[in-house]
Amino acid sequence: MEAAAMEAGAGRKLAARHPHGRSRTAHNMSSSSLRKKSDAALVRKVPVEPLRPLLANLQEVFLATKLAVLFPAVPLAIAAQCFRFGQVWVFALSLLGLIPLAERVSFLTEQIALYTGPTVGGLLNATCGNATELIIALFALVKGKMEVVKCSLLGSVLSNLLLVLGTSLFCGGVVNLGAHQPYDRKQSDVSTGLLLLGVLCHSMPLLLRYAVAAGEHSVLPVSAGDSTLALSRACSFVMLASYVAYLFFQLKTHRQLFEPQDVVDGDGGGGDGAGEADEEPALGFASAAFWLVAMTVVISVLSEYVVGTIEPTSESWGLSVSFISVILLPIVGNAAEHAGAIIFALKNKLDITLGVALGSATQISMFVVPLSVLVAWIMGVQMDLDFKLLETGSLFIAVLVTAFTLQDGASHYLKGVLLLLCYIVIGACFFVARQPAGHANSNGSLLDVPTSSMSVQLLD
Amino acid sequence: MPLSRLLESSSSSPTTTMAKEMAVRHHLLPQGDGPRGKTAHNLSSSSLRKRSDASLVRKVPCAALRSLLANLNEVLLGTKLFLLFPAVLLAIAATFLHSGQVWVFVLSLIGLVPLAERLSFLTEQVAFYTGPTVGGLLNATFGNVTEVIIALCALREGKIQVVKCSLLGSVLSNLLLVLGTSLFLGGIANLRADQPYDRKQADVNTGLLMLGVLCHSLPLMLRYAVTSGEHAVVSGSAALDLSRACSIVMLIAYLAYLFFQLKTHRQLFEPQEVEDDDDDLVISQDEPVLGFSSAMIWLALMTLVTALLSDIILLPIVGNAAEHAGAVIFALKNKLDITLGVSLGSATQISMFVVPLSVIVAWTMGIPMDLDFNLLETGSLFLAILVTAFTLQEGESHYLKGLLLLLCYAVISVCFFVIRRPSAGVV
Repeated sequence: MEAAAMEAGAGRKLAARHPHGRSRTAHNMSSSSLRKKSDAALVRKVPVEPLRPLLANLQEVFLATKLAVLFPAVPLAIAAQCFRFGQVWVFALSLLGLIPLAERVSFLTEQIALYTGPTVGGLLNATCGNATELIIALFALVKGKMEVVKCSLLGSVLSNLLLVLGTSLFCGGVVNLGAHQPYDRKQSDVSTGLLLLGVLCHSMPLLLRYAVAAGEHSVLPVSAGDSTLALSRACSFVMLASYVAYLFFQLKTHRQLFEPQDVVDGDGGGGDGAGEADEEPALGFASAAFWLVAMTVVISVLSEYVVGTIEPTSESWGLSVSFISVILLPIVGNAAEHAGAIIFALKNKLDITLGVALGSATQISMFVVPLSVLVAWIMGVQMDLDFKLLETGSLFIAVLVTAFTLQDGASHYLKGVLLLLCYIVIGACFFVARQPAGHANSNGSLLDVPTSSMSVQLLD
Repeated sequence: MPLSRLLESSSSSPTTTMAKEMAVRHHLLPQGDGPRGKTAHNLSSSSLRKRSDASLVRKVPCAALRSLLANLNEVLLGTKLFLLFPAVLLAIAATFLHSGQVWVFVLSLIGLVPLAERLSFLTEQVAFYTGPTVGGLLNATFGNVTEVIIALCALREGKIQVVKCSLLGSVLSNLLLVLGTSLFLGGIANLRADQPYDRKQADVNTGLLMLGVLCHSLPLMLRYAVTSGEHAVVSGSAALDLSRACSIVMLIAYLAYLFFQLKTHRQLFEPQEVEDDDDDLVISQDEPVLGFSSAMIWLALMTLVTALLSDIILLPIVGNAAEHAGAVIFALKNKLDITLGVSLGSATQISMFVVPLSVIVAWTMGIPMDLDFNLLETGSLFLAILVTAFTLQEGESHYLKGLLLLLCYAVISVCFFVIRRPSAGVV
C-alpha cells in the first residue's frame, strides 16, 4: 500500500511539472474519452492488505474502460484456437478481442508518456499509436500473405481519412447545426501534404510496372518486378525520412500548431468522472511498462490467429480477402479512436478530431507502410509499394477529396456526408472485386494475358 | 404598373394579392430570407426577360379573352428570345414535310433556345407558389429538363454511348466553357476592380463533383484491373452492379446537397444584391406574373415541345444556351456569385442527378448503362474538376482564370474532335 502510494505520489509530482495539456497529444485525448473512473470503493472492501494494491492495479488496467465488456473475447479466442472450434469463430472472436486491447495499449502508452516527458511521449505515441495495424501487417508478412498486408494498411488509411473523419464531421455538424465549426487548417495541411507524398511513392512503382508492360520503357534488371522492388525500397527510405521530419516539426519546432484546443469542460477541473483522464498517472511506471508488454504479446497472439484464419473466413462468409482486409480489419483496429473522434466532434473540438484521424492516417501511410517494406527486405520477403491500380487509385482520390474538403478551415455536416459516401463507394468496389486465383502471395507484378471476364463494357 | 398583372385576378390566391402589394413597392432587391428565396439560377435568366407590353392586350374587348391573351403575352413574348419561337413551328413542319435532315436539325436547334429559357422562367413562377424547397427541387429537375429528356430518349433507343457523351459534354461545358467565358469577359470588363466571390459555395459544389468523379473512376479502374489480371470478378456484370450502387450513392449525395442548400445552410446561397438600373429592360421577378395552374400547364406544354424537338437533335450546348448568356451578363456586372451558382450548380445537377438518374432508369428499362465513361472521358472530367477546384480556391477572380478554363475546354474539345468513334452497331 505504501509502495503504491509512493509511486502515485511520485507520479503526481512529475505530473505537476508538466502543465496541463503539454504531454497529451490528440491521439491520447481521444482515447481518454472512453475511460471511466475506476471505482475505488470496491477495492477498499478487500480485507487482505497486500492484495489491495494488486487488485487496484488490475482494476485500473482492465476495467477502466467502457470497452471492458469485450475483454472476455480474448480468452474465448485462445480457447477456440486450442480446442479447434471453427476457423470462423477464431477469426471473429480474435477481432472482437483486439478492440479493447488496442484501446488499452493506447492508455498504457499515455501513462508511460506522463513519466517520460512530452517529446518522448509524443515519439512513443507516434510509433506505438497504431500498434495493432503494425503487428497484423508483420504477421501477414511472415506468412507471406502480401494481399492481406497491403490491403489492411491501405484500408487503415482509407478508414481514417474517410470513415472516421466522415462520421465525426457528420455527427458534429448535425449536433452543432447552427454553430460555427472552425479548426486549424495548418495542421490538416501538413498532414495532407505528407499523405500526397505517400501517394506519389505508391504511384511511381505502379506506373513503372504499367509503363514497362505497355512497352513505353524498359528496365535494367531482368524483370519489372525487381526494379519496382528496388524503387519501392528507395521510396520507403524517403517516406521514413519525411516522417522523421514531420515528427521534428510536430514535437519540436512547431508545437504550437498541434496543441489541442483548450479542453476546459464545464463539469469542473481534471479528475472528475466525466471521462477526461487526470494529469496524474493512474499506474506506476513499472506496472504500466509491464502491462504494455503483456498486452502487446496478447495482441500478437490474436493477430496471428486473425491472419491465419482469414482465408477460410472469407470463403465461409462469401467476401473477398481484399474486402475483409480493407474494410473489416481497419474498423476493428480503429474502433477506439473512431469513438473518441466522434465524441470530440460532438463537443465541437474539431482540432482533436482532425489530429486523431489525420495523424493516424499519416502515421500508417508514412511510417508503418515503409517500415513493413524494410522489415520484409530484412526477412527476405519481397514486398513493394505497388498496391495495384484499384487500391492506389482509390487512395489517390480519397486523399484528394479529403485535402479539398479540409481546405477552408470550417466544417459542416455535408462535408462529413461526402467523405462517408466516398468510403461507401470504395467499399462497394472492393466488395465486387475478387482476388484472382494464385495471386494472393505475389505482388501482382505479373500482368497476365487479359482474361476479360467483363462483358460488353470493353470499348477500345 | 402593367395592367396584365391586375388582369390575373382570375387566379385570386392570397399569394397573388400579397404579390400585388409587393409589386407596388417596385423594388428590385431580393429579400434576405423571404419565403420566396431567389437563387442565382433564377436571377440569371431574368436578365433575358423584358416587360411584356400590356397596352396591346388592353385593346381586346372581351374580358375572358383578355386574360388568356395576357397569359400568352407573358409567357410567349416575355423574353428577348421570342423571335426564335417560330423556328419551333418551322422545325415541326419541316419534319412532317420531310424537307432534308439539315433543315430540321438547324431549325430544331434554334427552336430549343427560347424553349429552354422559358422553361426556366416557368419553373421560377411555380416556385413562387410552392415555396423554395419544392421549387428548388422542381428547378433542379426542369432546369436541366433538356438534358434529362435527351438522355432518356436516347436510352430508350439503346444509344448508351451517345447519352454518356452528351452528359459528359454538358458537365464539361458548364465547368469550363460557361465559367471560363464568364470569368474571362467579366475580368476584362472589370479590369481594375476587385472581383470577389464566396468560395464556400464553390467548395461545396466541387466537393460533390469530386465524389462524382470517384464514382466514375471506380468502375473504370475495376475494368482495367480485371483486364490486367490484378483482380477478378465473380459475375460478368460486376461493373454494372457497382455502377448502379454508386448511382444510388450519388443520388443520396445530391439529396443531401439540396437539403443543405435549401434548408439548413441557406445563407451560403443568397445571391449578391442585384441592382438593375434599367427597369425597362429587366422585369422585376419578386412577384409571380402567372397563376399557379397556368404556370404548370405551360410548363407541361413546353416540356412536351422540348421533348419533341429533342427527339430530333442531341446537343448539350443548346440546352445551356440561355443559362450561358445569363451567366456572362452577371459576370460583366461583377456579380460572380450568381455566375458561379449557375455554372457550378448546373454542372453538379447533371453530374450528381441526371447521370445517376439515367443509370437507374436504364436499370428499370433493362438497358446496361454503367458509370464507366472510358478513359479519355473520365480523365478529362477528372482534370477539368481539379483545374476548376484549384482555380476557384481563393475567392477572387481575374481574367486569366477565365482564359485558363477556356483553353482547357479548347484542348479537350480538340482531343475529342481528333478521335474517331468506333463504327456503327456500338452499344
